[in-house]
Amino acid sequence: MRIERKLRQLRERREGALMPHVYYGDPTPEFSFELVRTLAASGADLLEVGVPFSDPIADGPVFTAACERALSRGIKPRMCIAAIERLRSEGIDLPVVVTAYYNIVYNWGVVRFCADLQAAGADGIIVPDLPVEESEELLEAAKDRDLDLIFQVAPTTSESRIDKVLRKASGFVYVINVEGVTGPRGDIVPSTLQLISRVRERTSLPLLAGFGVSSADHARLLVANGADGVVVGSAIAEIYSKNLRNPHSTLERIRSFVSELKAACVQGMRERKRI
Amino acid sequence: MRGRYGRFGGRYVSEVLIHVLEELEEAFERIYPTPEFQQEFHHLLRTYAGRPTPLYYARRLSERTGLKIYLKREDLVTGGSHKLNNSLGQALLAKRMGKRRIITETAAGQHGLSAAMAGNVVGLEVEIFMGVKDMERQASNVKRMRLLGAKVTPVTTGTGVLKDAVSDTLREWAKTSRTTHYLMGSAVGPAPFPEIVATFQSVIGEELRRQILEFEGRLPDAIVACGSGGSNAIGAFRPFLSDSDVRLYFIEGGGESLDADNSAAAFVLGRPGVLHGALMQIMQDEDGQIKPSKTRAAGLNYPGRGPEISYLCETGRVKPGYAFDREVFEAVKTTAECEGLIPALETAHAIAYVLNHPEEFDRGELVVINFSGRGDKDLDAIMRYFYED
Repeated sequence: MRIERKLRQLRERREGALMPHVYYGDPTPEFSFELVRTLAASGADLLEVGVPFSDPIADGPVFTAACERALSRGIKPRMCIAAIERLRSEGIDLPVVVTAYYNIVYNWGVVRFCADLQAAGADGIIVPDLPVEESEELLEAAKDRDLDLIFQVAPTTSESRIDKVLRKASGFVYVINVEGVTGPRGDIVPSTLQLISRVRERTSLPLLAGFGVSSADHARLLVANGADGVVVGSAIAEIYSKNLRNPHSTLERIRSFVSELKAACVQGMRERKRI
Repeated sequence: MRGRYGRFGGRYVSEVLIHVLEELEEAFERIYPTPEFQQEFHHLLRTYAGRPTPLYYARRLSERTGLKIYLKREDLVTGGSHKLNNSLGQALLAKRMGKRRIITETAAGQHGLSAAMAGNVVGLEVEIFMGVKDMERQASNVKRMRLLGAKVTPVTTGTGVLKDAVSDTLREWAKTSRTTHYLMGSAVGPAPFPEIVATFQSVIGEELRRQILEFEGRLPDAIVACGSGGSNAIGAFRPFLSDSDVRLYFIEGGGESLDADNSAAAFVLGRPGVLHGALMQIMQDEDGQIKPSKTRAAGLNYPGRGPEISYLCETGRVKPGYAFDREVFEAVKTTAECEGLIPALETAHAIAYVLNHPEEFDRGELVVINFSGRGDKDLDAIMRYFYED
């Protein structure tokens, strides 16, 4: 499927992958489109589109505020899916992963949700509050629609559980870098790099590392230590959040930040010890 | 399946928290049944919490309603509500699991207070997350918690009420779960929390059963309890679930009126969904965004109903009802005047239901109201309602 194909191509080209994560509609739908065009033009390889939720318990303050702003503007889940359709019609063909908390999916109807995602041109789904034990229904519906249901592993995930997750995983494995929630952080801690190698030993599936990735150096280090790429979300939202009156004026900064991140992903792959 | 009540319950959390929930489930199943744990827990319930609590025959409320009403006096538990039953149990468990710190959230402040007490008794650091609005409304309990040495952290996300405090506590727990126990105060949250809370609160129903048999020689016709997550209700109901002749009533916050923006009546206004780690009855909009609930009783101001209560109401074993704010204040006054007792606003919902729904009870029926907490914390609100509005 498209996600894994894309990531394997990048691996062959010896490039680390960059997947920016945006919450759609924050602070406005128009800005989200501009942002996505900017990301696509400056090095994003995949795109994670978040559906704003009222109680995003896996998200830190930056993304929680993003959800609140989007919801206060009346953003609805349907609008997020329609936005993917529009991106496709504009010729943006990056693999797209939709992130939605489970109540949104449950409420939409698991089967209908997957059908609508596929029709809109999405490639995968992340449900941050759906561990593998609760995922059976959605996994089946996603498979029927050629969508990858992306599973996560965390520093607290045991070896036997990693195996359990890997048996269901497709597309890529999302490596949660830290014990905690999304949001920018200082350093990459040793346990993160250990987790990447623990998962790496067990699968050939691509690994994307997310949570707390805030700088080009973080991205380089994660890729150099075995990740196929990184997910960057709050660090981008933090840039435009500082100028919510005129977020468009921050796009240039975001462009250069994302280019740096992508260059660091490429650099990280070069630094990686040849296996 | 473990952790499920019919279709309700489950464990819908970030992968980060799975490890600690499995650890907690294993520890609870291993430690709870041991004689050492039981002895220490019941010793504290007796000598610190003040159990067993009396079952009081409320003669004048009985005369007024034509029923035979007993009150299960959980207001007499140290701290002023049933919350300490569960807090002592979980604090002992956390200590034995080697945790150094407990965190929790609170709305009315009763659970936060009980967690601070239990943390001190057992020797654990305590941090309480509390919505900024609730901190204003329940200022006296904030003072008590601080005097006990607990750190009270204001929650400003969302609308600054209980559901937002639960979200923030879950986020904090994801960061600190190796050293920290989340002392869940209500019968909500991901498995195994609903089961743990119900187990520790079942002491209410077990005592009640013994006491009513002693006084009346038979089981009650009905038990009435207030709730949102439902910890006092499930604690009172559990030992009676298979006694089909005992009717069980669960009374939620009607708020001002029965529309989605002015009420906390999730069984009237909600539908099943996933919030804070469990599938349960929830107030939500058509897209699945969680609706903030509204009631004058901070302790009932939560948009979700615990998974077991959701299940028992779906099967018809428990009948849900509600009381409006104005009925609740009147019930406080009636109880104060008839019995010399000031119930918490939450507790007064159960009393209001019995006072205002004669169609539900036959004359002379034996009705037990779970008197879950005392009203000192609500005194300002009560005085304002009667003498300033």
